[in-house]
Amino acid sequence: MGRREATLDFVQKCRAAASAEDIARFLFAEMEACGIRYVACASHVDPLKPPTGAVAIVNYPHPWLVWFSDKKYANRDPIFFGAHNALLPFWWEEFVVQYDLARDQRRILNEAAECGLRKGLTIPIHSPGALPASCSLVPGPDGIDPLIVPDLQLMAFHAHEEARLRATGETRTPVVLTKRQKECLALAARGKSDPLIADILGIKTATAKHTIEHARARYGVSSRIQAIMFAYLDGTLTLSDLAD
Amino acid sequence: MIQIITRDNRRLFHHALMEMHRQRKQVFIDRMHWRLSESMGLEIDEFDNEEAMYLIDVDANGDVQQSARLLPTLSPHLMSEVFAKLCDDGPPRSARVWEASRFCPAPTIAKGAPRRELLARMIAGILETSILFGIEKVSFVAGAALAPLAAQAGWNVCALGPKQRMGRERLIAMLADVTSDGLAAVRQRARLTGPVTRFADAGLARAA
Repeated sequence: MGRREATLDFVQKCRAAASAEDIARFLFAEMEACGIRYVACASHVDPLKPPTGAVAIVNYPHPWLVWFSDKKYANRDPIFFGAHNALLPFWWEEFVVQYDLARDQRRILNEAAECGLRKGLTIPIHSPGALPASCSLVPGPDGIDPLIVPDLQLMAFHAHEEARLRATGETRTPVVLTKRQKECLALAARGKSDPLIADILGIKTATAKHTIEHARARYGVSSRIQAIMFAYLDGTLTLSDLAD
Repeated sequence: MIQIITRDNRRLFHHALMEMHRQRKQVFIDRMHWRLSESMGLEIDEFDNEEAMYLIDVDANGDVQQSARLLPTLSPHLMSEVFAKLCDDGPPRSARVWEASRFCPAPTIAKGAPRRELLARMIAGILETSILFGIEKVSFVAGAALAPLAAQAGWNVCALGPKQRMGRERLIAMLADVTSDGLAAVRQRARLTGPVTRFADAGLARAA
């Protein structure tokens, strides 16, 4: 099987996987086949005490995880910061050169290197509504084939998403708002009152109120603010919708 | 030694390949400002795939000195997709014609004589590889810097069309014959006493 076929096969297996544990097993095996020694495809949280809904597919050396957890490094890990601010994968070695890291952050990287976590590659993962996450990969002694980086990315995205859906109990059905619901919610997000929204759109106040209520119900949440947040996170509303 | 890297043995050379793509980014994008795409500090284009053959010159310390790429002309390659208009009669395409591209000296190699010596070595490496793989002709597109050097290397080359300006460069498409006489002449001019290439067998390497 060629690399691309194996990658697509992996994606299918993740979709069909019964549990997050199965996805972890598949990911470790597939990454090993790609020459990857260590994998951390995870939400940016304490890997030993992940909160509900977090993804934690990690096979880093256990002593490092204990140390990372004890020291509460999830709050300071520079690689997490890097992943927050990047869309494309980056090598740790180049990241260190480009960013002005604080001393304690350099120490974290040095300590990780002592545990065998060095010369890694981090794939940022930005998933609507999900905790910030990334997939860090540490190649084995033979390195990795430069041509398979897109495959690594594809596998990381799918493993994370499927594991996240299983961790949160979310379904894949997206919420779709009507044009009118979106307009009303966007105006509400800008702090407009129902009468003002009605005025702007040329509708009755009661209609504006009901439209927003329906949008809220579609997200299955109990407040307008929550509906606005969900709509922003899933991309229904964008930052430009919220700006005056 | 110039390592010949193919689909079958590339898993032995992940580090060298990674370094080659890194150097290509530093040389072609950072230094020469070619409009190529880059990701993670690597220059990789649509022709970099498992069909391509790479020649990577690695010194005794394991450092990459230079690299070049050979593409089969029956598949899409630079001359067919990007530089077709440089060829009066269309780009030559055959199982026995391969295209050489991405001649890349390491960024640390000084201009002038050191780079010319490396290029002569690479041309010898291309001829050796061609003889090993039954390639009879090698096509390539050369800019103002590469064209005269390639023409004077000692192998038999002809132009496939007139020089043309494309972007900031004047480019010419060329075709070189692969012959043992040509190899002998290239070696003599480059003062090479024997083969410069090595083709590592992935199966044997694993057994060792």
